[in-house]
Amino acid sequence: MSIRLAIPKPTMQKTGGRPVLGTLAVIGYVVMIVPILFVVAAAFSGGDSLQFPPENFSLKWFGAAVSYKPFMSALASSAQLAVLATLLALVIGVPAALALQRSNFAGKGWVQGLFLSPLIVPELVVGLALYQQLIAGLGTSTFTALLVGHTALLIPYAVRVTGAALSLADPFVEEAARGLGAGPFKVFTSVTLPLLRPGIVSAALLSFVTSFNNVPLSLLLQGRNFSTLPVSMLDYVQKSYDPMIAAMSTLILAATIVFAFIAERAVGFATIFGGINK
Amino acid sequence: MLSKKSSLLLLGPGLLFIVLGFCLPAVMLLLAPPGIGPAEVFARLGRMLQDPYDLTIIGRTLGLGLLVTALCLVIGFPIALLLARSTSRWSGLLLALAIFPLLLSNVVRTYGWLVLLGQNGVIGQVISAIGLPAPQLLYTETAIVLGLLQLFLPLAIVSCYSAVAQVDAGLDDAARGLGASRTRVLWTVTLPLSIPGVIVAATLVFAGATTAYTTPYLLGGSNQRMLATQLFNYSTVSIDWAAASAVALIMTVLVFAVSGVSTALGSRKGKTS
Repeated sequence: MSIRLAIPKPTMQKTGGRPVLGTLAVIGYVVMIVPILFVVAAAFSGGDSLQFPPENFSLKWFGAAVSYKPFMSALASSAQLAVLATLLALVIGVPAALALQRSNFAGKGWVQGLFLSPLIVPELVVGLALYQQLIAGLGTSTFTALLVGHTALLIPYAVRVTGAALSLADPFVEEAARGLGAGPFKVFTSVTLPLLRPGIVSAALLSFVTSFNNVPLSLLLQGRNFSTLPVSMLDYVQKSYDPMIAAMSTLILAATIVFAFIAERAVGFATIFGGINK
Repeated sequence: MLSKKSSLLLLGPGLLFIVLGFCLPAVMLLLAPPGIGPAEVFARLGRMLQDPYDLTIIGRTLGLGLLVTALCLVIGFPIALLLARSTSRWSGLLLALAIFPLLLSNVVRTYGWLVLLGQNGVIGQVISAIGLPAPQLLYTETAIVLGLLQLFLPLAIVSCYSAVAQVDAGLDDAARGLGASRTRVLWTVTLPLSIPGVIVAATLVFAGATTAYTTPYLLGGSNQRMLATQLFNYSTVSIDWAAASAVALIMTVLVFAVSGVSTALGSRKGKTS
Protein backbone atom coordinates (compact mmCIF):
# COMPACT_ATOMS: atom_id res chain seq x y z
CA MET A 1 0.00 0.00 0.00
CA SER A 2 2.90 2.35 0.65
CA ILE A 3 3.94 1.95 -2.99
CA ARG A 4 0.61 3.32 -4.09
CA LEU A 5 1.33 6.54 -2.23
CA ALA A 6 4.52 7.03 -4.22
CA ILE A 7 2.72 7.11 -7.57
CA PRO A 8 3.37 10.43 -9.25
CA LYS A 9 0.12 10.55 -11.24
CA PRO A 10 -3.11 8.59 -11.16
CA THR A 11 -3.01 5.64 -13.60
CA MET A 12 -6.48 6.15 -14.93
CA GLN A 13 -5.40 8.25 -17.84
CA LYS A 14 -7.59 10.29 -20.09
CA THR A 15 -7.48 9.48 -23.79
CA GLY A 16 -6.17 12.96 -24.48
CA GLY A 17 -2.92 12.14 -22.75
CA ARG A 18 -2.05 9.38 -25.20
CA PRO A 19 -1.97 10.86 -28.72
CA VAL A 20 -0.91 7.71 -30.61
CA LEU A 21 -3.37 5.35 -28.93
CA GLY A 22 -6.09 7.99 -29.09
CA THR A 23 -5.61 8.50 -32.84
CA LEU A 24 -5.72 4.75 -33.52
CA ALA A 25 -8.87 4.47 -31.42
CA VAL A 26 -10.57 7.28 -33.34
CA ILE A 27 -9.67 5.59 -36.67
CA GLY A 28 -11.13 2.34 -35.33
CA TYR A 29 -14.43 3.87 -34.29
CA VAL A 30 -14.72 5.74 -37.61
CA VAL A 31 -14.24 2.48 -39.55
CA MET A 32 -16.75 0.63 -37.35
CA ILE A 33 -19.50 3.25 -37.16
CA VAL A 34 -19.37 5.74 -40.07
CA PRO A 35 -20.39 3.30 -42.85
CA ILE A 36 -23.50 2.43 -40.84
CA LEU A 37 -24.44 6.11 -40.52
CA PHE A 38 -24.23 6.51 -44.30
CA VAL A 39 -26.54 3.54 -44.81
CA VAL A 40 -29.12 5.36 -42.67
CA ALA A 41 -28.60 8.61 -44.59
CA ALA A 42 -29.02 6.83 -47.93
CA ALA A 43 -32.26 5.21 -46.75
CA PHE A 44 -34.01 8.60 -46.56
CA SER A 45 -33.17 9.50 -50.13
CA GLY A 46 -35.89 10.28 -52.66
CA GLY A 47 -33.72 9.44 -55.68
CA ASP A 48 -33.60 6.22 -57.64
CA SER A 49 -29.95 5.40 -57.17
CA LEU A 50 -27.40 5.70 -54.40
CA GLN A 51 -26.15 9.23 -54.67
CA PHE A 52 -24.62 11.80 -52.40
CA PRO A 53 -25.83 14.18 -51.35
CA PRO A 54 -29.30 12.58 -51.74
CA GLU A 55 -31.57 14.50 -54.13
CA ASN A 56 -34.32 15.02 -51.58
CA PHE A 57 -35.70 13.65 -48.36
CA SER A 58 -38.28 10.89 -48.64
CA LEU A 59 -39.60 7.84 -46.85
CA LYS A 60 -40.57 6.12 -50.07
CA TRP A 61 -37.85 3.45 -49.93
CA PHE A 62 -39.06 2.32 -46.50
CA GLY A 63 -42.51 1.84 -48.02
CA ALA A 64 -40.94 -0.02 -50.94
CA ALA A 65 -38.93 -2.31 -48.64
CA VAL A 66 -41.83 -3.37 -46.42
CA SER A 67 -44.11 -3.99 -49.38
CA TYR A 68 -41.47 -5.95 -51.31
CA LYS A 69 -42.75 -9.55 -51.08
CA PRO A 70 -39.41 -11.42 -51.34
CA PHE A 71 -38.03 -9.48 -48.35
CA MET A 72 -41.09 -9.99 -46.19
CA SER A 73 -41.34 -13.72 -46.86
CA ALA A 74 -37.57 -14.04 -46.32
CA LEU A 75 -37.96 -12.16 -43.02
CA ALA A 76 -40.59 -14.67 -41.89
CA SER A 77 -38.36 -17.57 -43.01
CA SER A 78 -35.33 -16.17 -41.19
CA ALA A 79 -37.27 -15.63 -37.97
CA GLN A 80 -38.81 -19.11 -38.10
CA LEU A 81 -35.45 -20.73 -38.81
CA ALA A 82 -33.65 -18.75 -36.09
CA VAL A 83 -36.25 -19.63 -33.43
CA LEU A 84 -36.35 -23.34 -34.26
CA ALA A 85 -32.57 -23.69 -34.61
CA THR A 86 -32.08 -21.87 -31.28
CA LEU A 87 -34.53 -24.18 -29.49
CA LEU A 88 -33.00 -27.29 -31.01
CA ALA A 89 -29.46 -26.15 -30.18
CA LEU A 90 -30.49 -25.52 -26.57
CA VAL A 91 -32.25 -28.88 -26.25
CA ILE A 92 -29.08 -30.58 -27.49
CA GLY A 93 -26.48 -28.24 -26.04
CA VAL A 94 -27.69 -27.68 -22.46
CA PRO A 95 -27.68 -31.39 -21.46
CA ALA A 96 -24.31 -31.76 -23.16
CA ALA A 97 -22.91 -28.79 -21.22
CA LEU A 98 -24.28 -30.35 -18.03
CA ALA A 99 -22.60 -33.68 -18.72
CA LEU A 100 -19.31 -32.01 -19.72
CA GLN A 101 -19.23 -29.88 -16.55
CA ARG A 102 -20.50 -32.40 -14.02
CA SER A 103 -18.79 -35.64 -14.95
CA ASN A 104 -15.40 -37.08 -15.77
CA PHE A 105 -14.75 -39.77 -18.33
CA ALA A 106 -12.01 -40.90 -20.69
CA GLY A 107 -11.95 -38.89 -23.91
CA LYS A 108 -13.84 -35.93 -22.45
CA GLY A 109 -11.51 -33.52 -24.23
CA TRP A 110 -12.34 -35.12 -27.58
CA VAL A 111 -16.08 -35.02 -26.95
CA GLN A 112 -15.82 -31.35 -25.99
CA GLY A 113 -13.79 -30.68 -29.14
CA LEU A 114 -16.44 -32.40 -31.22
CA PHE A 115 -19.20 -30.22 -29.75
CA LEU A 116 -17.19 -27.06 -30.45
CA SER A 117 -15.98 -28.12 -33.92
CA PRO A 118 -18.72 -26.29 -35.90
CA LEU A 119 -17.07 -23.05 -34.73
CA ILE A 120 -13.86 -23.85 -36.59
CA VAL A 121 -14.94 -25.37 -39.92
CA PRO A 122 -15.69 -22.57 -42.44
CA GLU A 123 -19.46 -22.10 -42.73
CA LEU A 124 -19.39 -22.02 -46.52
CA VAL A 125 -17.83 -25.50 -46.41
CA VAL A 126 -20.60 -26.75 -44.09
CA GLY A 127 -23.23 -25.25 -46.37
CA LEU A 128 -21.91 -27.04 -49.45
CA ALA A 129 -21.46 -30.29 -47.50
CA LEU A 130 -25.09 -30.25 -46.34
CA TYR A 131 -26.28 -29.32 -49.81
CA GLN A 132 -24.50 -32.33 -51.31
CA GLN A 133 -25.42 -34.86 -48.63
CA LEU A 134 -28.92 -33.75 -47.55
CA ILE A 135 -30.59 -31.89 -50.43
CA ALA A 136 -28.88 -33.59 -53.41
CA GLY A 137 -28.16 -36.91 -51.67
CA LEU A 138 -31.16 -37.65 -49.45
CA GLY A 139 -33.62 -35.33 -51.15
CA THR A 140 -34.56 -33.43 -47.98
CA SER A 141 -36.26 -30.05 -48.15
CA THR A 142 -34.31 -26.79 -48.13
CA PHE A 143 -35.75 -26.02 -44.70
CA THR A 144 -34.57 -29.32 -43.16
CA ALA A 145 -31.05 -28.80 -44.47
CA LEU A 146 -31.01 -25.20 -43.21
CA LEU A 147 -32.31 -26.28 -39.81
CA VAL A 148 -29.63 -29.00 -39.47
CA GLY A 149 -26.90 -26.57 -40.53
CA HIS A 150 -28.00 -23.70 -38.30
CA THR A 151 -28.49 -26.02 -35.32
CA ALA A 152 -24.98 -27.45 -35.75
CA LEU A 153 -23.61 -23.91 -35.98
CA LEU A 154 -25.38 -22.85 -32.76
CA ILE A 155 -24.59 -25.91 -30.61
CA PRO A 156 -21.08 -24.64 -29.71
CA TYR A 157 -22.61 -21.40 -28.38
CA ALA A 158 -25.18 -23.30 -26.32
CA VAL A 159 -22.51 -25.64 -24.90
CA ARG A 160 -19.99 -22.91 -24.20
CA VAL A 161 -22.24 -20.20 -22.77
CA THR A 162 -24.31 -22.50 -20.53
CA GLY A 163 -21.11 -24.35 -19.62
CA ALA A 164 -19.56 -21.07 -18.45
CA ALA A 165 -22.65 -20.31 -16.33
CA LEU A 166 -22.53 -23.82 -14.90
CA SER A 167 -18.84 -23.65 -14.00
CA LEU A 168 -19.62 -20.61 -11.84
CA ALA A 169 -22.38 -22.48 -9.98
CA ASP A 170 -21.39 -24.48 -6.92
CA PRO A 171 -21.97 -28.24 -7.49
CA PHE A 172 -22.39 -28.72 -3.72
CA VAL A 173 -25.75 -26.98 -3.91
CA GLU A 174 -26.94 -29.90 -6.04
CA GLU A 175 -25.30 -32.42 -3.71
CA ALA A 176 -27.04 -30.76 -0.78
CA ALA A 177 -30.45 -30.99 -2.46
CA ARG A 178 -29.81 -34.68 -3.08
CA GLY A 179 -28.71 -35.16 0.50
CA LEU A 180 -31.96 -33.58 1.62
CA GLY A 181 -33.87 -36.25 -0.26
CA ALA A 182 -34.64 -34.71 -3.68
CA GLY A 183 -34.64 -37.12 -6.62
CA PRO A 184 -32.43 -36.43 -9.70
CA PHE A 185 -35.32 -34.90 -11.67
CA LYS A 186 -36.34 -32.67 -8.78
CA VAL A 187 -32.71 -31.55 -8.34
CA PHE A 188 -32.52 -30.66 -12.03
CA THR A 189 -35.77 -28.68 -12.19
CA SER A 190 -35.55 -26.90 -8.84
CA VAL A 191 -31.80 -26.38 -8.42
CA THR A 192 -29.74 -26.80 -11.60
CA LEU A 193 -32.15 -25.18 -14.04
CA PRO A 194 -32.59 -21.94 -12.03
CA LEU A 195 -28.79 -21.74 -11.68
CA LEU A 196 -28.49 -22.15 -15.43
CA ARG A 197 -31.13 -19.61 -16.38
CA PRO A 198 -28.86 -16.62 -17.12
CA GLY A 199 -26.61 -18.90 -19.17
CA ILE A 200 -29.55 -20.27 -21.15
CA VAL A 201 -30.97 -16.79 -21.80
CA SER A 202 -27.54 -15.58 -22.99
CA ALA A 203 -27.09 -18.61 -25.23
CA ALA A 204 -30.59 -18.17 -26.67
CA LEU A 205 -30.07 -14.48 -27.51
CA LEU A 206 -26.64 -15.12 -29.00
CA SER A 207 -27.94 -18.09 -31.01
CA PHE A 208 -30.89 -16.15 -32.37
CA VAL A 209 -28.81 -13.28 -33.80
CA THR A 210 -26.14 -15.65 -35.08
CA SER A 211 -28.70 -17.65 -37.02
CA PHE A 212 -30.71 -14.62 -38.16
CA ASN A 213 -27.65 -12.82 -39.56
CA ASN A 214 -25.95 -15.86 -41.08
CA VAL A 215 -25.00 -15.65 -44.74
CA PRO A 216 -22.40 -18.28 -45.71
CA LEU A 217 -24.33 -21.28 -44.44
CA SER A 218 -27.69 -20.18 -45.81
CA LEU A 219 -26.24 -19.09 -49.14
CA LEU A 220 -25.63 -22.54 -50.59
CA LEU A 221 -28.75 -24.06 -49.03
CA GLN A 222 -31.36 -21.55 -50.21
CA GLY A 223 -34.11 -22.88 -52.43
CA ARG A 224 -36.31 -21.31 -55.09
CA ASN A 225 -39.07 -20.57 -52.59
CA PHE A 226 -37.12 -20.46 -49.36
CA SER A 227 -34.46 -17.87 -48.75
CA THR A 228 -33.29 -16.05 -45.63
CA LEU A 229 -33.39 -12.25 -45.34
CA PRO A 230 -29.63 -11.52 -45.51
CA VAL A 231 -29.26 -13.81 -48.51
CA SER A 232 -32.18 -12.27 -50.39
CA MET A 233 -30.73 -8.82 -49.64
CA LEU A 234 -27.42 -9.91 -51.17
CA ASP A 235 -29.29 -11.15 -54.24
CA TYR A 236 -31.08 -7.82 -54.53
CA VAL A 237 -27.83 -5.81 -54.34
CA GLN A 238 -26.66 -7.62 -57.44
CA LYS A 239 -29.87 -6.83 -59.32
CA SER A 240 -30.37 -3.19 -58.46
CA TYR A 241 -28.46 -0.20 -57.20
CA ASP A 242 -31.47 1.58 -55.69
CA PRO A 243 -31.66 2.64 -52.01
CA MET A 244 -34.25 0.00 -51.01
CA ILE A 245 -31.47 -2.08 -49.42
CA ALA A 246 -30.44 0.97 -47.42
CA ALA A 247 -34.03 1.29 -46.12
CA MET A 248 -34.24 -2.43 -45.28
CA SER A 249 -30.83 -2.20 -43.59
CA THR A 250 -31.99 0.77 -41.52
CA LEU A 251 -35.03 -1.21 -40.37
CA ILE A 252 -32.73 -4.11 -39.39
CA LEU A 253 -30.46 -1.63 -37.57
CA ALA A 254 -33.44 -0.28 -35.60
CA ALA A 255 -34.57 -3.80 -34.71
CA THR A 256 -31.02 -4.71 -33.66
CA ILE A 257 -30.83 -1.67 -31.36
CA VAL A 258 -34.10 -2.75 -29.71
CA PHE A 259 -32.69 -6.28 -29.40
CA ALA A 260 -29.52 -4.92 -27.77
CA PHE A 261 -31.59 -3.05 -25.19
CA ILE A 262 -33.59 -6.19 -24.40
CA ALA A 263 -30.35 -8.18 -24.08
CA GLU A 264 -28.91 -5.46 -21.84
CA ARG A 265 -31.97 -5.59 -19.58
CA ALA A 266 -32.08 -9.40 -19.50
CA VAL A 267 -28.43 -10.27 -18.87
CA GLY A 268 -26.21 -7.35 -19.87
CA PHE A 269 -25.09 -7.56 -23.46
CA ALA A 270 -21.40 -7.02 -22.80
CA THR A 271 -21.57 -10.28 -20.82
CA ILE A 272 -23.26 -12.25 -23.58
CA PHE A 273 -21.57 -10.99 -26.68
CA GLY A 274 -18.15 -10.29 -25.34
CA GLY A 275 -17.92 -12.74 -22.50
CA ILE A 276 -16.99 -9.60 -20.58
CA ASN A 277 -17.71 -9.46 -16.87
CA LYS A 278 -17.54 -5.83 -15.92
CA MET B 1 -21.04 -35.68 -10.19
CA LEU B 2 -23.17 -37.53 -12.68
CA SER B 3 -23.04 -41.27 -13.23
CA LYS B 4 -21.50 -42.65 -16.46
CA LYS B 5 -24.91 -43.78 -17.65
CA SER B 6 -26.64 -40.47 -17.19
CA SER B 7 -23.85 -38.45 -18.79
CA LEU B 8 -23.95 -40.77 -21.79
CA LEU B 9 -27.69 -40.18 -21.95
CA LEU B 10 -27.15 -36.40 -21.86
CA LEU B 11 -24.37 -36.40 -24.45
CA GLY B 12 -25.71 -39.09 -26.79
CA PRO B 13 -28.30 -37.16 -28.82
CA GLY B 14 -25.92 -34.24 -29.30
CA LEU B 15 -23.04 -36.47 -30.37
CA LEU B 16 -25.26 -38.26 -32.84
CA PHE B 17 -26.46 -34.96 -34.28
CA ILE B 18 -22.96 -33.46 -34.60
CA VAL B 19 -21.46 -36.59 -36.13
CA LEU B 20 -24.27 -37.29 -38.63
CA GLY B 21 -25.40 -33.74 -39.36
CA PHE B 22 -22.05 -32.03 -39.38
CA CYS B 23 -18.85 -34.11 -39.27
CA LEU B 24 -19.85 -36.78 -41.76
CA PRO B 25 -21.14 -34.40 -44.47
CA ALA B 26 -18.07 -32.17 -44.02
CA VAL B 27 -15.65 -35.10 -44.34
CA MET B 28 -17.54 -36.41 -47.39
CA LEU B 29 -17.34 -32.98 -49.04
CA LEU B 30 -13.63 -32.62 -48.36
CA LEU B 31 -12.61 -36.10 -49.48
CA ALA B 32 -15.33 -37.68 -51.59
CA PRO B 33 -18.07 -35.41 -52.97
CA PRO B 34 -20.94 -37.18 -54.80
CA GLY B 35 -19.70 -39.19 -57.77
CA ILE B 36 -16.08 -38.18 -57.22
CA GLY B 37 -13.29 -40.04 -55.44
CA PRO B 38 -10.56 -38.70 -53.16
CA ALA B 39 -7.96 -39.22 -55.90
CA GLU B 40 -9.75 -36.79 -58.19
CA VAL B 41 -10.10 -34.17 -55.42
CA PHE B 42 -6.40 -34.34 -54.61
CA ALA B 43 -5.45 -34.27 -58.30
CA ARG B 44 -7.54 -31.10 -58.68
CA LEU B 45 -5.92 -29.67 -55.54
CA GLY B 46 -2.48 -30.42 -57.02
CA ARG B 47 -3.33 -28.61 -60.26
CA MET B 48 -4.76 -25.69 -58.29
CA LEU B 49 -1.51 -25.30 -56.37
CA GLN B 50 0.37 -24.93 -59.67
CA ASP B 51 -2.08 -22.73 -61.54
CA PRO B 52 -1.02 -19.04 -61.49
CA TYR B 53 -4.64 -17.78 -61.34
CA ASP B 54 -5.57 -20.02 -58.41
CA LEU B 55 -2.31 -19.17 -56.68
CA THR B 56 -3.13 -15.46 -56.99
CA ILE B 57 -6.43 -16.10 -55.22
CA ILE B 58 -4.79 -18.17 -52.48
CA GLY B 59 -2.08 -15.51 -52.10
CA ARG B 60 -4.65 -12.70 -51.96
CA THR B 61 -6.68 -14.55 -49.32
CA LEU B 62 -3.61 -15.16 -47.16
CA GLY B 63 -2.16 -11.69 -47.72
CA LEU B 64 -5.36 -9.77 -47.02
CA GLY B 65 -6.06 -12.07 -44.06
CA LEU B 66 -2.67 -11.25 -42.52
CA LEU B 67 -3.01 -7.52 -43.25
CA VAL B 68 -6.49 -7.35 -41.71
CA THR B 69 -5.30 -9.33 -38.66
CA ALA B 70 -2.38 -6.93 -38.15
CA LEU B 71 -4.61 -3.85 -38.56
CA CYS B 72 -7.24 -5.27 -36.19
CA LEU B 73 -4.60 -5.79 -33.49
CA VAL B 74 -2.88 -2.43 -34.01
CA ILE B 75 -6.21 -0.59 -33.76
CA GLY B 76 -8.16 -2.98 -31.55
CA PHE B 77 -5.62 -3.34 -28.75
CA PRO B 78 -5.36 0.42 -28.06
CA ILE B 79 -9.16 0.69 -27.99
CA ALA B 80 -9.36 -2.24 -25.56
CA LEU B 81 -6.62 -0.72 -23.41
CA LEU B 82 -8.23 2.73 -23.28
CA LEU B 83 -11.65 1.22 -22.51
CA ALA B 84 -10.34 -1.11 -19.80
CA ARG B 85 -8.28 1.58 -18.05
CA SER B 86 -10.63 4.51 -18.46
CA THR B 87 -12.73 5.93 -15.64
CA SER B 88 -14.61 8.30 -17.93
CA ARG B 89 -18.38 8.08 -17.77
CA TRP B 90 -18.33 7.65 -21.55
CA SER B 91 -16.38 4.41 -21.40
CA GLY B 92 -19.53 2.30 -20.90
CA LEU B 93 -21.13 3.81 -23.99
CA LEU B 94 -17.92 3.43 -26.02
CA LEU B 95 -17.63 -0.23 -24.99
CA ALA B 96 -21.26 -0.78 -26.01
CA LEU B 97 -20.56 0.92 -29.37
CA ALA B 98 -17.64 -1.42 -29.96
CA ILE B 99 -19.67 -4.54 -29.13
CA PHE B 100 -22.93 -3.54 -30.81
CA PRO B 101 -21.69 -4.20 -34.38
CA LEU B 102 -21.32 -7.88 -33.40
CA LEU B 103 -25.12 -8.04 -33.27
CA LEU B 104 -25.65 -6.27 -36.56
CA SER B 105 -25.96 -8.16 -39.83
CA ASN B 106 -22.75 -8.33 -41.89
CA VAL B 107 -24.77 -7.44 -44.98
CA VAL B 108 -25.94 -4.18 -43.37
CA ARG B 109 -22.45 -3.30 -42.15
CA THR B 110 -20.78 -4.09 -45.47
CA TYR B 111 -23.44 -2.25 -47.49
CA GLY B 112 -22.23 0.99 -45.89
CA TRP B 113 -19.01 0.73 -47.91
CA LEU B 114 -21.03 0.54 -51.14
CA VAL B 115 -22.61 3.85 -50.19
CA LEU B 116 -19.21 5.34 -49.35
CA LEU B 117 -17.05 3.84 -52.11
CA GLY B 118 -19.55 3.30 -54.95
CA GLN B 119 -19.57 5.11 -58.29
CA ASN B 120 -21.63 8.05 -57.05
CA GLY B 121 -20.54 7.38 -53.48
CA VAL B 122 -19.56 9.91 -50.87
CA ILE B 123 -15.78 9.58 -51.17
CA GLY B 124 -15.79 9.68 -54.98
CA GLN B 125 -17.98 12.81 -54.92
CA VAL B 126 -15.65 14.56 -52.49
CA ILE B 127 -12.58 13.72 -54.57
CA SER B 128 -14.13 14.94 -57.82
CA ALA B 129 -15.42 18.08 -56.08
CA ILE B 130 -11.82 19.00 -55.34
CA GLY B 131 -11.16 18.60 -59.05
CA LEU B 132 -9.20 15.37 -58.98
CA PRO B 133 -10.10 12.38 -61.16
CA ALA B 134 -12.23 9.97 -59.09
CA PRO B 135 -10.28 6.73 -58.61
CA GLN B 136 -11.82 3.27 -58.74
CA LEU B 137 -12.54 2.54 -55.08
CA LEU B 138 -15.06 -0.26 -55.14
CA TYR B 139 -14.00 -3.74 -56.26
CA THR B 140 -10.43 -3.20 -55.10
CA GLU B 141 -8.32 -4.89 -52.44
CA THR B 142 -8.47 -1.66 -50.41
CA ALA B 143 -12.26 -1.92 -50.30
CA ILE B 144 -12.03 -5.53 -49.08
CA VAL B 145 -9.52 -4.58 -46.38
CA LEU B 146 -11.73 -1.72 -45.15
CA GLY B 147 -14.78 -3.99 -45.11
CA LEU B 148 -13.00 -6.79 -43.25
CA LEU B 149 -11.47 -4.33 -40.80
CA GLN B 150 -14.93 -2.97 -39.98
CA LEU B 151 -16.30 -6.49 -39.62
CA PHE B 152 -13.59 -7.93 -37.35
CA LEU B 153 -12.48 -4.96 -35.21
CA PRO B 154 -15.24 -5.58 -32.62
CA LEU B 155 -14.07 -9.19 -32.25
CA ALA B 156 -10.46 -8.06 -31.76
CA ILE B 157 -11.51 -5.38 -29.25
CA VAL B 158 -13.61 -7.81 -27.20
CA SER B 159 -10.84 -10.46 -27.00
CA CYS B 160 -8.15 -7.90 -26.13
CA TYR B 161 -10.46 -6.18 -23.63
CA SER B 162 -11.03 -9.35 -21.59
CA ALA B 163 -7.27 -9.89 -21.52
CA VAL B 164 -6.33 -6.32 -20.58
CA ALA B 165 -9.06 -6.11 -17.94
CA GLN B 166 -7.51 -9.13 -16.20
CA VAL B 167 -4.12 -7.43 -15.93
CA ASP B 168 -3.97 -5.80 -12.50
CA ALA B 169 -3.86 -2.01 -12.97
CA GLY B 170 -1.70 -1.98 -9.82
CA LEU B 171 1.14 -3.42 -11.92
CA ASP B 172 0.94 -0.40 -14.23
CA ASP B 173 1.03 1.82 -11.15
CA ALA B 174 4.06 -0.01 -9.76
CA ALA B 175 6.00 0.28 -13.03
CA ARG B 176 5.07 3.97 -13.31
CA GLY B 177 6.07 4.51 -9.69
CA LEU B 178 9.47 2.98 -10.44
CA GLY B 179 9.95 5.55 -13.16
CA ALA B 180 8.87 3.82 -16.40
CA SER B 181 7.23 6.01 -19.03
CA ARG B 182 3.68 5.15 -20.10
CA THR B 183 4.96 3.83 -23.43
CA ARG B 184 7.46 1.62 -21.62
CA VAL B 185 4.74 0.32 -19.27
CA LEU B 186 2.61 -0.59 -22.28
CA TRP B 187 5.41 -2.48 -24.04
CA THR B 188 7.00 -4.18 -21.05
CA VAL B 189 4.08 -4.78 -18.67
CA THR B 190 0.56 -4.51 -20.08
CA LEU B 191 1.12 -5.96 -23.55
CA PRO B 192 3.20 -9.00 -22.48
CA LEU B 193 0.63 -9.89 -19.81
CA SER B 194 -2.23 -9.60 -22.34
CA ILE B 195 -0.56 -11.81 -24.97
CA PRO B 196 -2.93 -14.80 -24.52
CA GLY B 197 -5.91 -12.55 -25.38
CA VAL B 198 -4.02 -11.05 -28.31
CA ILE B 199 -3.33 -14.56 -29.67
CA VAL B 200 -7.04 -15.41 -29.40
CA ALA B 201 -7.94 -12.17 -31.16
CA ALA B 202 -5.44 -12.82 -33.97
CA THR B 203 -6.75 -16.37 -34.50
CA LEU B 204 -10.41 -15.35 -34.59
CA VAL B 205 -9.77 -12.46 -36.96
CA PHE B 206 -7.51 -14.42 -39.32
CA ALA B 207 -9.86 -17.42 -39.50
CA GLY B 208 -12.84 -15.10 -40.02
CA ALA B 209 -11.16 -12.87 -42.60
CA THR B 210 -9.86 -15.74 -44.75
CA THR B 211 -13.27 -17.47 -44.90
CA ALA B 212 -15.65 -14.45 -44.99
CA TYR B 213 -17.97 -14.40 -47.97
CA THR B 214 -20.12 -11.25 -47.83
CA THR B 215 -17.21 -8.78 -47.88
CA PRO B 216 -15.25 -10.09 -50.87
CA TYR B 217 -18.56 -10.69 -52.69
CA LEU B 218 -19.90 -7.14 -52.23
CA LEU B 219 -16.65 -5.16 -52.18
CA GLY B 220 -14.28 -7.27 -54.28
CA GLY B 221 -16.66 -8.42 -56.99
CA SER B 222 -15.34 -10.67 -59.74
CA ASN B 223 -12.13 -8.61 -60.03
CA GLN B 224 -10.79 -9.48 -56.62
CA ARG B 225 -11.75 -13.08 -55.97
CA MET B 226 -10.90 -14.70 -52.65
CA LEU B 227 -11.13 -18.39 -51.66
CA ALA B 228 -14.69 -17.98 -50.32
CA THR B 229 -16.09 -16.34 -53.46
CA GLN B 230 -14.19 -18.88 -55.56
CA LEU B 231 -15.76 -21.78 -53.59
CA PHE B 232 -19.20 -20.26 -54.16
CA ASN B 233 -18.47 -19.96 -57.88
CA TYR B 234 -17.31 -23.56 -58.27
CA SER B 235 -20.34 -24.88 -56.39
CA THR B 236 -23.12 -22.82 -57.99
CA VAL B 237 -21.97 -21.29 -61.29
CA SER B 238 -19.59 -23.79 -62.86
CA ILE B 239 -20.75 -26.73 -60.67
CA ASP B 240 -17.28 -28.23 -60.54
CA TRP B 241 -17.50 -30.27 -57.34
CA ALA B 242 -13.92 -31.54 -57.44
CA ALA B 243 -12.67 -27.94 -57.60
CA ALA B 244 -15.12 -26.85 -54.88
CA SER B 245 -13.83 -29.65 -52.64
CA ALA B 246 -10.24 -28.66 -53.34
CA VAL B 247 -10.93 -25.04 -52.35
CA ALA B 248 -12.84 -26.24 -49.29
CA LEU B 249 -9.82 -28.37 -48.32
CA ILE B 250 -7.48 -25.38 -48.60
CA MET B 251 -9.78 -23.21 -46.45
CA THR B 252 -10.34 -25.90 -43.83
CA VAL B 253 -6.66 -26.88 -43.53
CA LEU B 254 -5.74 -23.18 -43.26
CA VAL B 255 -8.21 -22.55 -40.42
CA PHE B 256 -7.29 -25.74 -38.55
CA ALA B 257 -3.58 -24.98 -38.90
CA VAL B 258 -4.01 -21.47 -37.52
CA SER B 259 -6.12 -22.57 -34.57
CA GLY B 260 -3.65 -25.41 -33.87
CA VAL B 261 -0.72 -22.99 -33.81
CA SER B 262 -2.67 -20.62 -31.60
CA THR B 263 -3.57 -23.38 -29.12
CA ALA B 264 0.08 -24.44 -28.98
CA LEU B 265 1.25 -20.85 -28.43
CA GLY B 266 -1.44 -20.30 -25.83
CA SER B 267 -0.55 -23.40 -23.81
CA ARG B 268 3.18 -22.61 -23.96
CA LYS B 269 2.44 -19.11 -22.68
CA GLY B 270 0.31 -20.65 -19.95
CA LYS B 271 3.19 -22.88 -18.80
CA THR B 272 5.87 -20.20 -18.72
CA SER B 273 3.86 -17.57 -16.90
